[in-house]
Amino acid sequence: MASRPDPRADRRLLLAWLVAIFVLSAVRDPRWLAGAGLAVAVLFRRGLPATLRRTLRSVVPVTAGLSAASLGWVRLVSGAWPPVEPFLALGLRAAVIGLLTFAVLDRVALLAALGPFPLLARLLVVTLAQVHALRLLSTESLEGLRSRLPRRPGPLDLLRGVGGITAMLFTLASRNARDISDAMRSRGF
Amino acid sequence: MHLPDGFLSPQLSLPALAVAAPLWAWGARRHFGREAAESLPVLGTLTAFAFVIQTIMIPVPGGTSTHLVGVTLLALLFGPLAAFVCEGLVLLLQALFFGAGGVTVLGVNALAMGLLGPLAGWLAWRLLRRLSPRVALFAAGWLSTQVATLAVAGVLALQHRLDPLVFPVEPAVTLAAMMVPSLALAGVVEGLYTIFAYSLVRKANLRGVEA
Repeated sequence: MASRPDPRADRRLLLAWLVAIFVLSAVRDPRWLAGAGLAVAVLFRRGLPATLRRTLRSVVPVTAGLSAASLGWVRLVSGAWPPVEPFLALGLRAAVIGLLTFAVLDRVALLAALGPFPLLARLLVVTLAQVHALRLLSTESLEGLRSRLPRRPGPLDLLRGVGGITAMLFTLASRNARDISDAMRSRGF
Repeated sequence: MHLPDGFLSPQLSLPALAVAAPLWAWGARRHFGREAAESLPVLGTLTAFAFVIQTIMIPVPGGTSTHLVGVTLLALLFGPLAAFVCEGLVLLLQALFFGAGGVTVLGVNALAMGLLGPLAGWLAWRLLRRLSPRVALFAAGWLSTQVATLAVAGVLALQHRLDPLVFPVEPAVTLAAMMVPSLALAGVVEGLYTIFAYSLVRKANLRGVEA
């Protein structure tokens, strides 16, 4: 996340991104989508390799897998290959939206940009802080479970362990909620 | 299970957001109080709880793994509407900070995974808990997963019907790709998890837990 302290510019960028992803989700022509992808790559060229890698990792496998299965299915049922263009458009659309999202979110200080929405900003701060704390705890607990068992834990061992971790996380989450609530009240929120 | 951006046109994604938004507002007001100082920390912490549960991967025979959803548990403990609010926030966090799911499809994902699934699980649990608590818990987790998956697959099939140029994947393929792992694996894991986790949470006897 960038440290550029300009929440107004960040808000404008976020608004433009929000409009752009909805507009892109309606585009069906692969040429337009390829053009949009190129425009995104040029506009957000700083850090492009990392953004591309992230998009390839998280977006492309799902789209490619579903498209290949569907193409194979239609070939099997009808004996002919369906037109590839809509599949290409689907893959490009998902990839371009993903690329744009990753590029924009890397450039904005999201929490600072949410200044005009203090409730949402506070909610996100509280949630993210809790996510990090609880994640650390759950990772340590799962590691502890693995180290206590003389063999490699199977799915059922892990499920039982996760049940126990859930109870602990839940207890802590409830306590944290009360503590944070009291702390916020004492600070005049 | 949840959809990424680009799979649905605004024709479907915008109405879904229009349905989800007032439900979020209603759920937040109903379950998390009117005063921000009271409601935000509880909402935030329960959302974090649901988020962390969803990051826990369970390896399954065959070399693959599945992740828990855990929203059914929140629905059983706090009611389906509270679970819907928390899952909406989980999906928003995943879309904004972790690059999973998407913002345009937030409404559809939240309605399927946060409302329809947990609501079905909650109803199954209410119906069956007198017969056998364990069976009721398993059914809640299993059914919740199936209903949520079916809802997502149904929306994709509807998108294919409305405009195959937007989502060209055949409904039969979508249904098979989503329901087979859900029926065979994810539902069973979620059912077993719901039994273990619910029993332990109830044993912990926490203040504020309804059920």
